[in-house]
Formats: sequence, C-alpha cells, structure tokens
Amino acid sequence: MSYAVPSIKPSFQRPPSRVAIQRAASYEANLAAIISETLAEFRLDLKGRSVLLKPNFVGADPQCVMNTHPSVVAAAREAFLRAGAATVVVGEGPALERDTEGILEAIHLREYLGSLDGAFVDLNVDNVWPVALRTRASSVKRLYLPASVLRADCVVSLPKLKTHHWAGVTLSLKNMFGIVPGHCYGWPKNLLHWAGISKSILDLNSTVRPDFAIVDGIVGMEGNGPTQGQPKAAGLLVMGDDPVAVDATCARIMGLIPERVEYLRRAGILLGNLSEKKIEQIGESIASVSQPFAMVREFEFLRANGRITEPRSV
Amino acid sequence: MRAEIVQQPAVKDERWTHGLLAAQNLDGGWGYREGQDSAIEPTSWALLAISEMGREHSLDREKRAGASFLGRNQLSNGSWPTVPKDRAGSWVTSLACLALQGLGGWAPQVDAGLHWLARNWPGEGGFWWCLRHRLFGQPQLVVQDHRLRGWGWTSGTSSWVEPTAYALLALRAARGSTSFLARVDHRCRLAQAMLCNRMCAGGGWNCGNPVVYGAAGHPLLSSTCWALLSLGEFMDQADVRRCVTESLDWLERSYSQSPGPGSLALGALCLKAFRRAPPTVGPALSELYERNRFLGQVPVLAWASLAVQSVPRWLRPAIPAST
Repeated sequence: MSYAVPSIKPSFQRPPSRVAIQRAASYEANLAAIISETLAEFRLDLKGRSVLLKPNFVGADPQCVMNTHPSVVAAAREAFLRAGAATVVVGEGPALERDTEGILEAIHLREYLGSLDGAFVDLNVDNVWPVALRTRASSVKRLYLPASVLRADCVVSLPKLKTHHWAGVTLSLKNMFGIVPGHCYGWPKNLLHWAGISKSILDLNSTVRPDFAIVDGIVGMEGNGPTQGQPKAAGLLVMGDDPVAVDATCARIMGLIPERVEYLRRAGILLGNLSEKKIEQIGESIASVSQPFAMVREFEFLRANGRITEPRSV
Repeated sequence: MRAEIVQQPAVKDERWTHGLLAAQNLDGGWGYREGQDSAIEPTSWALLAISEMGREHSLDREKRAGASFLGRNQLSNGSWPTVPKDRAGSWVTSLACLALQGLGGWAPQVDAGLHWLARNWPGEGGFWWCLRHRLFGQPQLVVQDHRLRGWGWTSGTSSWVEPTAYALLALRAARGSTSFLARVDHRCRLAQAMLCNRMCAGGGWNCGNPVVYGAAGHPLLSSTCWALLSLGEFMDQADVRRCVTESLDWLERSYSQSPGPGSLALGALCLKAFRRAPPTVGPALSELYERNRFLGQVPVLAWASLAVQSVPRWLRPAIPAST
C-alpha cells in the first residue's frame, strides 16, 4: 500500500534526488514517449503493480489552463502500462465543483481514455478508510481517505504548473489535496484550509506520499491561480520520484525561491530534498528553461528578487 | 460536447429507477455507487427520490429499509456522520432529516437532528474569531461579511453555500411540525442574509467565495440551484427577491450549457420549482446516462429522477402572488 511505504527521514540522512526536465512544445507532441523514456531512467519497479494517476482537475475549463491536460494524463497512462503496470486508473476529487462528470466532459477526458468506465474513479465519493496522519503539523490527527488511493501500489501526482493565491504555488504536493474526499470534508475541503494549508499539505503527504510526480508545464498558469490566472506557456514536463525535489525544481523554473514557500520549506525538512545541491537535474537545466511567473502581490516575496515579507495568515 | 436539450414532454427513464433500486445494499442503505459501502448522503438522496416516484412503483419495503439504516446510524447527539464508522456530526444531518421527514414515523429522530443543526455554529464569526481576523487577517483577499453565518461542511469550520442551503431546507420542511423552530428563526434569517451576501456579481453562487483577490468568482450550477431553492422560503423580502431573480436569470442562461448530468438535473429542477418552465431535460439526461452511466453515482441518479417528476413539496418556494 502506498501510504505505508514512505519512511520519513531528516534531510541530512537522505541521498540526493533526481529530477527530469523535458521539453514538450505542445500537447500534440509524443508525450507518451517522453514520459516512457523518463520512467526508464528512474527504474521504477512497476511490473504487475496497480497505479493511480492523480491529475489536477479543478473546473469545467475546455482550454485546460487550470486543469492537467488530458493528453498528459493519457500519455502517462500509456507510459505506465508500457512499463509493466497491471492497472492504471485515473482518480481525482475536484475541490470546488461537485459535478465531476461535468468537468470530465468539458475537458473531453473520455476521448483521450476511450471510456471512463473502470478508467476513472471520483475520489470525492469513493469508499473511505480512516487513516492516522504520520505527522502532526496541523491540528488534524486523522483523515478518511479513498480506498482507491490507499490500495494502489503506486500513486502518481500529475499536477499543473500553477501559482496559487493561498499557498504561493500548487504542484505535486498541493495536488494531493484532491485525494481528500469531498463527501467527508466538503467542496471545498475546508477542514484542510481551517487547519492551515501548508501544515495540512505536509501531514497529507507524509501519510500518502506520491511515488512519482509528473508536472504538466506545457501550458501553466501564472497570476491569480489556481483558477483565475493567465495561461503561461512553459513547454515543459518536470518529473521525478521525489515530489519535494520536483516541486522545488518547478518553483525555481518559475523564478521563485522554494525555501520561501512555506509548505515546501516544511516538506524539505522531512519528506524530500529541497536544496539545489541535493537535486541532480536530468534533461534540461533550470537556467535554460526558467521563466518568471507573475505572482499576486501577496506572494511577490517568493521571487528571487522579492522582499521577504510573508503575508499574514487569514 | 453537451447533450442537446429539446422541448418535449417529460421523459422518465426507467433505467434510473432500476439503477437506484439495484444500488440499495442489504443493510438498507445506499453507497455512492452500486457495490460501495452505505453512507448517509446517498441513502438520503435515494430515499428522497423514491419517495416521489409515482404509484406505479410500490417501494415501501425499500423505504423502510433505507429509513431504518438512517435511524441506526444517528449519533447520540442527534446528528449524522458522513459514513457510519465516523462519530462526528456533519452536513449530511440536514439531508437525513429531509429524507426521514418525508417518510413519517421518525419524528423524534428528525427533531433531534434539527436540534443539533440549530446548535451547530460554524467556526467563523464568533467574538474571538472576529478579533483575530481583524488583527491578523487580510480583509482585501475575500470580500464578505463574516458576521453572517450559515452552516459548514464539518463542525467548527467556515460557512459555505451548499450546507447552509441544505440546513435551511431541512428546517423549513419541519416548520409547523416542531415547536422549537420559532426559536431558530433568527438563525435562519442570518443564514439567508449570508447567502445573499455571498452571491456572485451578476447572479448565481459558487461554493461561497464571490470575490477573491479582487477577482469576481464564477458561479457554479449546483451551488446556485441549492441556494435558490433554500431562499424560496424568504421570497417575501425584497432583497431576497432581487437575488433570486438575478440568479434565476443567470441559471436560465447557463444551465443548458452544462456538460454534466448532476448540474443539468438540478438546473431543471430549480427552474421548474420557480415556474421558469425549463425545457424538458429527460432526453438530454438519457443521452448522458448512455454515455457514462452518470459514473454510477447514486446522488446523480436521484437528482435526475427528481428532475423529471413534479417538484417535491419540500422544494417548492413560497412565491408571493404579486411576483
């Protein structure tokens, strides 16, 4: 079970992580080949395993600026099957909108996956099991989590490269909020916000740490993300088996200092590598693909040249 | 690629009825999908839907078993948890009360549930919260009056549109049948004011944030429908009538664009309740059912079933004769 696997080690005990930055000019590119090549680099043991892909589907946005593009989801599914996975299921629990099928129809997911029957599970209404959280950064001690996630051998976070008006950025760790079932915690999953977004991200990912992350940065979102920002074409897929290192790399690509993102700073202590010195880049270098993302005023301080004045908590 | 909505007589798709009935578990409850563990919300929606089915269906046994499942899983404080294994009261208490009210014979359980609802305040808006918010908050981020409180999804968290709407509907359905409701009138007025305060510019509601960082939030169909249906009780007030009219106009313009069956069904139900004569959605829903089987979701099956029948009594707004 995925949630039983991760061991929490302080940063000085961890070996370096590897993160792949691959160029993909558009959603028409051969994304399955790009992802397959990267999976081969990481030598994940996927033979006969069950894989759950967790994209970021936020709303009925046909242009998919706010959502992980379905072509990335379909390509990941194909790549994991090619790598020997026995089953690959797509699972998501949208945070704001109850009509999950409406979102899936709006983004034409069915056309990319062939059929939704058996290929997609709505995590908002899945069977749930109570799980004690492995860290206690927030006041939440346990959560009901979807059986489909807890049963999967391998959980893959498939977020969009986006800014976020409450958390600064939303990448593979923040994307895991989508596994928290709406039928238990509502739309939005306000319990996590009430307990503190950054602390909740740490607690959730310490309990269900993604085994792999693939960030859709082909077209990201800047400004007032995660839903009302502007499209930002970055032409990238960022991948790796350490979600903290993947998110830190994405933040650097966006022109931000990951140590200033509160949840990344916390995650860097316990869950993965944040320091550039402990991340080996595969493919492109950060410098060659970096492009500053516009931020809302309250998160300007995340920029490399921004003032260090954190926003007051709400 | 949305299904086309056409003007046709109401179409009842028997597959939805069969789908609902087939999904009932041996314990009497319904899961969110056929074969899943029973939970309070889908059981409540299924009961509300089959209670409205015509005489061609004799479903007394199913109703009794479903009601018994709800009765068994009520907590000692009168509330219901989202899933039977949990011990914390939640937003589904409103739905369980609504479902049992319609069946008769469950008055003590309903009364206990409504008392819990009346006592269950959200986390924001109290003295200490307001003080902290004033000292440390960022009032420019969200524009809403936090003194106006409704109900949250979980105890002690913020008020949101849908749980507030469900609670108002449950309390309204019990009006006249229980004595304490006069005492919660103030609470209901506060919740009604909260809903009007959280309406998006131009009509409609999203989950409850009409403006964030100065940007207007986009309304969503399901939140809009539930907010409208719950405000039907307050149509004697001019400000409520203004909100309702503006939001119904938005709904009328928007709902047929919905690619999802849940939103489509709720949109049709809501417009019908406010006598806005929606186009018949039966064929469109049937086409969507053909496509994805509504993802097998029991609440969507229940809403679709409700949408093609007469508007249930508990959803009918009190529209003044002059409007």
